[in-house]
Parts: sequence; structure tokens; C-alpha cells
Amino acid sequence: MASIKRSLDSDPLQASISSKVYVRSTKSGKVQKIVREVYLRQDIPCSSKLCRTCQKMAPTDSAGRPIPFVLSEAPAGTSVYPNGHYLVPDTNAFLSAMDLFEQSSAFYDVVVLQIVLEELRNRSLPLYNRLIGLTKSEDKRFYVFFNEFRLETYINRLEGESVNDRNDRAVRQAVAWYSEHLARTSAGKVPTVVMLSNDRENLKKAKKQGLAACSLAEYVRQLKDGEHLLDMIPETEDGDMIKEKKPNEFLYPEYFSMSKMMTGVKGGVLHQGTFNVSPYNYLEGSIRVPAFPKSLLILGRENINRAVDGDLVVVEVLPKDQWKEPSTQVIEEEAVTKDENPDTEEAGGLVTERERKALQEEVKRTHSKTTEGHAQPTAKVVGVIKRNWRQYVGHIDQTSVSQSAQQGRKQDTVFVIPMDKKIPKIRLRTRQVAELIGKRILVTIDAWDRGSRHPTGHFVRSLGELETKAAETEALLLEYDVQYRPFPKTVLDCLPKEGHDWKVPASMDDPGWRDREDLRHLGICSIDPIGCQDIDDALHARPLPSGNYEVGVHIADVSHFVRPNNAMDMEASIRGTTVYLVDKRIDMLPMLLGTDLCSLKPYVERYAFSVLWELTPDADIVNMRFTKSVIKSREAFSYEQAQLKVDDASQQDDLIKSIRVLMALSKKLKQKRMDAGALSLSSPEVKVQMESETSDPIDVKTKQHLDTMSLVEEFMLLANVSVARKIYEAFPQTALLRRHGAPPKTNFDELANQLRVKKGLELSVESSRALADSLDTCVDPKEPFFNTLIRIMATRCMMAAEYFCSGTQAYPEFRHYGLASEIYTHFTSPIRRYADLVAHRQLAAAIEYEAVHPSVRSRGRLEAVCKNINVRHRNAQLAGRASIAFYVGQALRGKATQEDGFIMKIFSNGFVVLVPRFGIESLVRLRDLAEPEPTAEYDAETYTLTTSGSREIKVELFQKVKVLVTDQKDETTGKRGVKMEFVKAY
Amino acid sequence: MATTTSQQVLLCPAELAYLHSSLSLTPPIRPDGRTPTHFRPLVAETDILPGTNGSARICFADGTEAIVGVKAEVEKTRGVEEGVEESEVREDEKEGRSEWVELTVEIPGVRDDDGGTAFLSAMLGEALLSDGGFVKRLWINRRWHWKLYLDILLISPPLSYPLPLLSLTTHLALLATRLPRLKSEGVEDPFFDDDWAAAPYLYPRDKKSGKALARPPVTLLVMAVGRNIIFDPAKEELAVADVALAVSVGEAAETGDNDMGGKGRKLRLLSVRTIDPPSRVTPPGVPNATNAAYGAAGTTQKQPEARMAEAEAVEGVWRAPRGGAKPLVMAALVQKTLERGGVADEVLDALEGVDLG
Repeated sequence: MASIKRSLDSDPLQASISSKVYVRSTKSGKVQKIVREVYLRQDIPCSSKLCRTCQKMAPTDSAGRPIPFVLSEAPAGTSVYPNGHYLVPDTNAFLSAMDLFEQSSAFYDVVVLQIVLEELRNRSLPLYNRLIGLTKSEDKRFYVFFNEFRLETYINRLEGESVNDRNDRAVRQAVAWYSEHLARTSAGKVPTVVMLSNDRENLKKAKKQGLAACSLAEYVRQLKDGEHLLDMIPETEDGDMIKEKKPNEFLYPEYFSMSKMMTGVKGGVLHQGTFNVSPYNYLEGSIRVPAFPKSLLILGRENINRAVDGDLVVVEVLPKDQWKEPSTQVIEEEAVTKDENPDTEEAGGLVTERERKALQEEVKRTHSKTTEGHAQPTAKVVGVIKRNWRQYVGHIDQTSVSQSAQQGRKQDTVFVIPMDKKIPKIRLRTRQVAELIGKRILVTIDAWDRGSRHPTGHFVRSLGELETKAAETEALLLEYDVQYRPFPKTVLDCLPKEGHDWKVPASMDDPGWRDREDLRHLGICSIDPIGCQDIDDALHARPLPSGNYEVGVHIADVSHFVRPNNAMDMEASIRGTTVYLVDKRIDMLPMLLGTDLCSLKPYVERYAFSVLWELTPDADIVNMRFTKSVIKSREAFSYEQAQLKVDDASQQDDLIKSIRVLMALSKKLKQKRMDAGALSLSSPEVKVQMESETSDPIDVKTKQHLDTMSLVEEFMLLANVSVARKIYEAFPQTALLRRHGAPPKTNFDELANQLRVKKGLELSVESSRALADSLDTCVDPKEPFFNTLIRIMATRCMMAAEYFCSGTQAYPEFRHYGLASEIYTHFTSPIRRYADLVAHRQLAAAIEYEAVHPSVRSRGRLEAVCKNINVRHRNAQLAGRASIAFYVGQALRGKATQEDGFIMKIFSNGFVVLVPRFGIESLVRLRDLAEPEPTAEYDAETYTLTTSGSREIKVELFQKVKVLVTDQKDETTGKRGVKMEFVKAY
Repeated sequence: MATTTSQQVLLCPAELAYLHSSLSLTPPIRPDGRTPTHFRPLVAETDILPGTNGSARICFADGTEAIVGVKAEVEKTRGVEEGVEESEVREDEKEGRSEWVELTVEIPGVRDDDGGTAFLSAMLGEALLSDGGFVKRLWINRRWHWKLYLDILLISPPLSYPLPLLSLTTHLALLATRLPRLKSEGVEDPFFDDDWAAAPYLYPRDKKSGKALARPPVTLLVMAVGRNIIFDPAKEELAVADVALAVSVGEAAETGDNDMGGKGRKLRLLSVRTIDPPSRVTPPGVPNATNAAYGAAGTTQKQPEARMAEAEAVEGVWRAPRGGAKPLVMAALVQKTLERGGVADEVLDALEGVDLG
């Protein structure tokens, strides 16, 4: 008996076919062996402009034009590679120092290998996207070389070789091929092909093979003024130099393995959720998990276990004897850990002495409690599923800088205090301490090891001096992830060619007029804030013979200009919304559209999407219809102007008359809404007045509410509700709607209890109607502002409204709680909100104006859009508020005024005061009351804080107080902020 | 007892009688000149189907050819309570269930519910499952296991009884089978390494020599003619077999290296099945004495064969064998198979020679 093995090698095509084998675990738990054939070819160009051979076979685009080559014929040289060089980085180089590659001073002509790109995608999607962005930019000259498909650069994995080793070898193979390939060109100066890697083994092997290779640090030193860039090479570079730690030197518990966490989550023993840090206490976090109605508390460094705000983590519930109350104390990281030394921090324990003291206070208080039912379940973090680290804006903590570092270029370790209080201090090693002090800087977190108390990060770039407008505004935009870069060329290419000269075609036969109603004869006008350029909406009303009124809301027809799925549409869907800052507007759509072609400017014809109702004098809808139209606005009023004219009885022209009709109808509409249980909520709103020339803030005013504002608001709500009904009827599964969930009753527990104890008022929260009614009863006859204060606080107990796709919720869940409407969407501001644009497309399809585009019909895509615009919307609001806060601070600069304020939150060592005049709230700490800090007694039952000793005061919740508002620059942090000093209690 | 194994052999009674008597000689003379224990050469290769977890192809000299593919899937073990409190895993907890293996046999031109095919797959399955060792290999943890699908395909027409061919191919395919490497621990939901090269073999190999440390069982076909025991019978030989047996042999759990010293494996009989040989349905010869053509009496009889069956055996005249295997022959047959250096040993040695993976 004999046996032979016949191998497949006899296949003559073998050389150009290979295969990849791997195991794939599917979401449903299946495990599959996957075999992919790899067809190797020789016509993948090197894309160097030097190479003649590759140019002959360059691939062509659909029009038959060859795709231009990327890599320059005369790349820049360095001190070591005077002939110029192309860079071939490995995956780790990108992973650890993407910021370097984004520099404009260096890092040109880079060959991104396919294998590197794929590995990067598996390791970090955000970095992958940034790299893709780089490869798209023309001036950086990044070329993606498909080395895994080119016969010469493809390598088979060797017996016993790990995947990483194989990929490293593939990188070296590609470098070798490139050098050899370029050497064959007849160019005079052949650029060196340099491998960039931080892996020592890889570098060693490359040098042995005779390839040019260097580590990131070595390479950067060869560059002109490379010193600056050195900071961007992260800590971990000298990873193997960090001394091995003994297990007991680790400060934090180890994370569970991924499979252990997944099993636990599936089995219901562990819980997964997003980690949130309390804005008042950096050592207290909370996590909302699907299993429990209330969120779980996570207290203390050890339990938080290196989680950073926003991370997706897995937690384990702690035994009942460790359950605690949420802290009543304000703990700020800056203050508590002020004098830590970043260099020697390993020496101390995990919990510093001060932190420990703060904790003792806590325990004392918990124990002194007579009522025990208050303890809340607590949990500890056992693992992180996904880090949500981004780039953080912050500044260097001056106290962490050693004297010697102020001069010289020695590398030094400092702490960076992020602007976002919820983010822990970041340890940073830099050579430019002296230059960076007092600047707003952008940093990223690289890692947080078990052995280090704070995360380590590296410097990305400086935004400028602290407190300068440019730096602070950019910092805001970065913090809230607002896309503020100018629109790329591809987007601008989508604009109409006529530019500002575009007009509504004169001929009614023009395709633009198809199915459009001519409404130019109507007396339409718009009412907006002063100086508004992007006019989304305009209105008209006219009496009908029947005694009813015809009312029309005309919205800018943005969907006519922004076609689905082109570059402009994509950009708008990413931006999601226009962001309004005090002195700046970051548009969702290019200026040409937003402020001209779409904007319903007066005296010119514009395309519009109109909603027309027939309303009875009691504002009941008799019928309604939707149509695309052409309108000509007669006038653009500001709220104030319109109000003046309406109030002025001598004004009797048609336009003003129709505004009066609208006003009367809007009041009836509002009453109906209120009867249905709509809430009138409140948030402190102020307006910053600027000096017109320097745009320096000079004064802060609270916004005035005018009837004309609610006029516009009511009709917009009516239009939104009508459109929502229509698109839901047409697309029951895919209509883009907006809902506002009813808040869980427990959200109001605290507020209801406070009202009962302090004011003897009952807050009923069974329905929005009940809440609206009971909010109306929350009045203090002596204090008119009290009602607003309660409304502000109630607003904070609400859920956030959100966009959703109708197929994802049951109909009863569509309800908009605040507006007390069964169904709602956004339709009226397509220039500044992407959701409205989608609603426009859906409505156009619903009235059969145009065919349904797949993108407004695909549920998956719509869900993704909703998710993104929900986040963008929220960020835009936060950025707007932060911008106001900054300018309020600037306006107060150097002034000190005494203002009335109200206590809206009270802790055992301080209280939060809201000053309505400026719409700001700030913490008043006991230790600032007097020196030494007065001893205080906090009665959590009655929300009263009584101090004794150095200063005796008694304050309680909702109390009106007088405070001295000043601005103050914190010497340790270099940050200017509003500071309130307690003057007296009323 | 199986139904008749395969198609008719086109031999006349006289030829059958000749074949039978030459095989009954001591030593027997086989039509192709082999010794009784001599196996025909075969061609084998493994890993021919890249999409499977393990596969093999064997081609016998008589032109029959089979391929086997093994596919594995992760499956939740039924009847185990959820709960992960106890994460320790004890070795004795390991178990295996026969339902974790699904075996399908496909013979071209035969329906899949055909009795013969069902019998074949039952026999192949029996050999695999009879010692619990094989299914235990599929155990992942208390709550999870691998489910193995064995697809056994005969790709040539069934020229001879395909049992040994299918068994040997299955054996090789299982030896080549690899399962993704487990990364999770304890009773956690299994979580696997995505690197195929790291996947361990279902039958672990010695790191240095690459030889399998344990091997799946094989099923051999053995026949007896008179007192002679003949291995690996050809189609014609099977047509005159008195008895045909399918003998499944596995390696004993512990290798006998310690007490025996030197090399050698301890074999274990897993099962024996009698197979209905095609000789049962061959037409009998007619002795001259009763042949009407030779002027025998009673020529009016329409069915001479029916009468013949009752008559005494006549030397040199073919008569289909009757009755089961005699115990003595059975014993000798099993003995011959299991003997150290015997046929099963030789077959396993030869299969070891096939270059795996």
C-alpha cells in the first residue's frame, strides 16, 4: 500500500492566485472559516511621477483619462536622505502619531500600504477616517498602494509566523520593491524609500535587509525644526523602557476579558452602558443600563477604574453594604489634586490624602442620616468595550510645571486640565512647556495604564493665547465637535453655476416651474430676529369669501438645490445643523444657498415649499394642502419692527392687516395647545450686545419675549404637525419625525420633594397637562421670578427631544411631550437643519411632486442620519450656550456688580446661584465665604445650610440672595471665570 | 443485516465456482495475485476543500474515489441551565453527545433514503461514536460545544462496496480537521481567535514530528472463503464470499508504550457488522446430473434452480452460500485484524504516511 500527496501546485495560474484564510465570528455567535481568493496582478502602479513604466499602464477613470499620479518627482529631503524620500509608515506609526502626519510642515509623499490601512481600520475607525481624509487631500500627496494585490509585494504567511510578523514583513517587502522599482527609473535623483516604524524588531530586520528605516523620533529629528514635532510622538513610544511593575504596584484593578464581559452582559450579571461623570464631582459617575429604571452610581477612582466620560463600559453592581447616596459635596479635581507632581506620581497611592479626606466627610454624612432608604445602588467598572476618546481642549496646570522647565528645551511632564470638567487631568510630556503655558492647547489621550493615576496623552497643537476670542471660539467648536472647516471644493461644485445671479426662471415652461404653483400675487412677508440673513420661513393670511382665512406658511425650497446623495448633501448630513455662536455662525449649507438663493429675501422671487390651510376664525383647520411654489416676499420684518407696526393702530396697509389676522389666529392656536397640556418651559436666555466695530461685548441683556415671536412659532408648529401627519401617512415606516419622550416620574422626585419641603407646593407629573397646570400654581407672590426658576429647573428634569424614523417606534411613542402633540417633525428650517431637508424630500414624494429617492426610503440610512443629527443638534446647543457664557464673562471683565440671584442647588460645602440678569449660574463655596472656612451644618431634609464660626449665614434652597458678580482669573489654572461672592440673603 | 450490497457481478456460475475454489486453497490464490492481507494501492490527499475545517480525498486502484468534508459550527448545549456563577471547569465535567455529529453519505445514482446508504452511514457513525472519546473532543464548556457535519461523498460510480473507502477518507479528513482556537475561558460564551493558522487540530499532533497523537477509528472490510480470511476484497472476490464483515478498529485510549516498550499501538475492536455479500443472490450452477440438456430425468420441471437449492452440494458446481459466519471463522477474523503488525496496524501506518496539512 502506498500513498502520495498531490499538491495543488501543478496549477499553471498558481502564481497569480493566492488565498487568505481566517476565522470570522458573527454576531449571532456563529464561527466560520472564511477563504478568500486573492488575485495578484502586476498592473498596480507605484504612482510616482518619476516612473515611466507605471504611467504606461496607469488606470483610467470612466472618461478614459488616466488617473494622475500622486507622489512628487522631487520629494523633500532630510538631513539623512538628501536625495528626497518617500515615506512608508507601518500601522503603529499611524496609530500612535496620526497628528504628525496631519502636519503641514512635513510628512509629504507618503505611501499608505493597503495592509496598513486595513490594520488601522480594525484597530481604530476614527484614525482610519482621518487617514482616508489625508489620502483624499491633494496637497499632502498620500497614495494608497494596494500591496496585497500586487504580485511582487504579496507574501504568503510562513509556517509558525504570527499575523503581525507577516504584516511587518509585507511592509518591508513593499519598501524593498519600491526602492528597487524606483532605482530602475532613469531619474537623476532617486528618492529613498524610508520605512517608518516604532517597532524595534521590524526596524532591525529592515536594516538587515538593507532598507532605509527609522523610528518616528529619529525621523522627526532629521527634519527642520523637528523639535516641535517631537511632542506629538506619544509616550508609548518608549514603551519597553518603562520598567516592569510588580502586581502590587498597579493602582487600578485589571479589566475583565472581552468574552467574560460579553457572557456576563448576556447572562444579566454585568451591565453595559455609557459612562457619565457628574459635572459637580469628578469622582462620581453614573451609568444608565437597560436593566434598571434608574442609573447606577459609580463612586471613587478605584470603581471608576480608568473610565473616561463617554466611554462604553461594563459594570458590576456592588454588594448592598457598599450602596451609597450621591454626594452632596462639590469636588473639583483641580482643587483636590492641585499640588500633585506629575513626575513622581507613581510613588503615591491611588487615592491621595485630600481625596481620602473628602471621602471621610462623605461617610460621616451618610452615617449621620437617620433615614436609610436613600442609599442608591452602586457599581464598579470592570471593563471598557469602547473608548470614546477624542481630542480635548485644555491648558497646562501651571503648578505642575517645575521651575527648571520654564526655560530650556528639556522634556518635561506636566498636567493638562481639560476644559470639560468631566475629563480627568491628562499627563503630558512636552519639550515646549515655556511656550505652551497660558495657551489653549489641543491634546489627545493615548493610554491609561493600570499603573498610572492619570491618563497619559500628547500634545497636538496650540490654539492660541487663553481668553483670546479666536482661541476660545475654536476651542468651543473643537470641544463640541462642530465641523467648522470651509466647505471643500466638491461641495461648492454642487452649487448652481449662475451663483448670485441665479433667478427664478422667467418662462413658466422652464423645468424649474414644473408642478409649481404661482403664489407671487400673495402678500407674503417674513418675521425674524434682527439681522437674520438665512430666512427660512415666510407667512401670509387673507380672508376668504366664506369668512374663513387662508393662511400660508412658505418655507425655503432647499431640497430643490440640494439633491440627495451629492457631495453637498453628504456634507450637510454630517454637519446636521447650523451652529450659532455669539459672533459667528457655522453654516450647514454654503453661504450662497443659505443667505441668498434659498433665503426668502424680500422683493425677489424665490422657490418655496408652501403649506396652505383654510382656518376658521377660531383657528380650526377646515382643509390644508401642500405645494411647491414660487413666492415673492413683500417685506422682511424683524420681531421688534413687526410688533411696533401691529401695535400702531395707524398702520392699515394690507400687510400689517394680515399680520394682525395671523396674530389673532396664533393666540387661539396657542390657547388650544395649552389646553391640550403643552408645557411652557424656560431656560435662562440672554443676549450679548457687541460694540459694532470691535465686536467686543459691552453688555448682557435678557431676551425679551414679543407676541410676534409666538406668532411665528405657532404657525411653524402648526406646519410641522401638519407635515408630520402627511409624511407619516405616506411613509409609515420611514417618515423622519421628532419625539419628546415623557420623562420618567423619578426624574421629578427631587424637585417635587424640594417644592413640598420648602414651599409646601405639590408638583404633579402624571401627564404633561398635570405638570403644566401645577407649574402654573408654583408662584411666589413676593417673587415673580420664582415661577421661571421652577420652570428652568423642571426643564432640566426632562428628556431630550430626538429625531427618529417612524418604523423604529410604536405610534403612541411618537408623542411630543412638551408640545403635547401626537406627532411632530421639523419642516420649517431646512437652511439650518438637515432633518427639515429630509422632511422636505419626503413631503415632496408624498405629494407626488417627485419620485421617492432611495435615501429617504431606506430605514437603515435614515436611522444613521437621525443618530447623527441628534448628536449634532445637542452639541450645537451646548456650543451656543458655552459661547454665550464666554462672552458674558468677557463683558463682565473688570466690572463688579451686585446682582440678585437664586439658590438652585445646595451642597454641604457650597451652593449654586443663578443670576437671571446674566443667565449664568455659579458655585459659591463655603471656603470662599471667610478665612478660615466656616464650619457648616447641612440639613439635607430641609435643604438648609447653616454656617457658624468665622461667618454666620443661613441659606436655603430657592432663596433669593444678593451676590457680587466679578470676573476672576484663577491663578493656578490661568482660566478666567465668573465668580460670585455672597453678599447677603434676603 | 444489510440488504444486498451492490450491483450484480456479471460472472456465470462456473466462473464463480472456479473463483471460490481457488480462494479456498491454502494459501488462497487471488485473481490479482495478492496475498490475503495485501491491500491495493491508493492515492490520498488532504485539505482539498479550502472552505471546510478539514477534508480528504482517496482514490482506490479500482477507480472508486471519495471525498469527505468536515464542517464545524458552534452550538449551545441543550438542557444546560443558564448561569455563569461557577466559572471553574473541572476536567471530569467534559462530556460528549452523539447528536453533536451529523453524518451524511452520498452515493451517486442512489437515493439518499436508500437502505444501503443509510446502513453505510450508520456503520461509519457507529465506529466514530462507539467510544465516547471522539465526541468529547467537541466539548467547549458546560454550555457550548462544536457540532460537526461530516459530508461523505462517493464521487465515482459504486463499483465495489464503498465502506472501506469511505471510512478511510473520513479518517483522513478528521485527522486534517482544525477548529478555531478558543480564546475565552471557563464557562464564558466562547470567543475565538480569528487567525486560522493558530487553529488547533481536532486530533492533536506531536509538535516535532507532526504525527497525530491519537487517531480516529477505521472500518475495514474482511471476507472469508472456506477457512481463508481475505482482506480488502475486490468486487469479484466479494461475489463468492461465504461471509463479509465490516470491522471497526480504533486505537485504545492509552498507547501501550509503557508496558510493551518500543513502538506499536494498542488496537481496540469497536464494532463488527455482518454484511450481506453479493454472493447470496448469484445464480447457482446446475450439476450435469440434473441438467436436462445432458438428458437428465424430469426435464419438464420449469424451475430446476428451486429444486436444486434443496439438493446436496456437488463438487465444482456453484451454489450461493447460506447461513451466517461460523464462530470459529469470526474469531480468527477478528484476531487477524487486531494482531500487532496485522492488517489494521498496517493500514493505520500507511495512513500516517499521508502528508497532512
